[in-house]
Amino acid sequence: MPLALGSWAPDLMTKWFVYGISIGGLKLKASDPAQFHRGWPGVGFTHSLIFGVVLALILWRVCGSKIWAISFLIGQWAHALTDTGDTVGTMLFFPWTLHIHLNAWAYAGQTGRLRDAGAYFSGLGAVWDAVWIVYGLFSWRVLTRSYFERHIYTADRSWTVMNRVVSVGALLVLYRAAFFYGTSRWIAWTLWAHAIHHYPYDLSWGGPHWVDAAHSPPLTWPQVAGIVGIVTLGLAIALLEHGRRRRARNERVVFPCECGCREVVKLTKAEYQTVGGAWLEGHEPGDDRAPSGA
Amino acid sequence: MPSRRQLAVALGYVAAAAVYIAIGVSYTDFLLSYFVGLGYLLLVAWLVPAGVRRLF
Repeated sequence: MPLALGSWAPDLMTKWFVYGISIGGLKLKASDPAQFHRGWPGVGFTHSLIFGVVLALILWRVCGSKIWAISFLIGQWAHALTDTGDTVGTMLFFPWTLHIHLNAWAYAGQTGRLRDAGAYFSGLGAVWDAVWIVYGLFSWRVLTRSYFERHIYTADRSWTVMNRVVSVGALLVLYRAAFFYGTSRWIAWTLWAHAIHHYPYDLSWGGPHWVDAAHSPPLTWPQVAGIVGIVTLGLAIALLEHGRRRRARNERVVFPCECGCREVVKLTKAEYQTVGGAWLEGHEPGDDRAPSGA
Repeated sequence: MPSRRQLAVALGYVAAAAVYIAIGVSYTDFLLSYFVGLGYLLLVAWLVPAGVRRLF
């Protein structure tokens, strides 16, 4: 659930203003939809990595759940990274306002909801979605009841809380709903675009070219060097932290023997947790050789 | 390979998806909100089967 929430977070409050809505004859729409949606000034920061980190930290603080925070972050980052695939891209490293864009498919939000859907489901964006649907189908075991009960339900306390109100059957439907919705929606829009409205497919890079796409300026070499530098720095920090954690896990710490003999035992934290305490050999509870007091 | 029971469950979801897609293609507003999709799925994959089981 938090992963799905995170994946919607960048567009959740803003997409309506990109496409525009009418309320009582009053038309509300951004004057420059692409700038509003992905730019600065605008709400483009919602598609940045830092926005995901900030929201995940708030979620962690408010809900007290690390798994919710991390899952939310993965979902939000997946959305922000995926949107770099179009011709406008995202300000991934906001407050650096550079748009990182791969130009694989056309950004056509400014053309309105239906034409945007027609364009998106005619280009490589829809192919990229299809890759994830196929991957989901290959991983069908994660959608089974036994997987849900063994791994999902036990990992996240919120399922137990909801189970006080509704049955596990309803929770299982809730768990499966995101994949059901994503897949059905993809098929429905594809049929709508190609079987009903006959939008032409254009799977070339940057397509479909029949739509008037919005574009960000091409990246310069110094900008590419800046991106490579940030990514390298991020990877280096992650690797150093990983190494530090591994060393800490394997480091032997001095514990007082818990039998009360005042001698010490050297164990790693993992060994301590596995055994459930620190005892010298022969000093374990119930051992005949243990000194008195054990 | 999935068991017979798992295949039967999957077929139920495929049937639910077919109806959802048919409605969505003719009325695209139905496709816009995840919560509409969730409500639909809860209705056809949980509430209706639970109601039928209670009746018979």
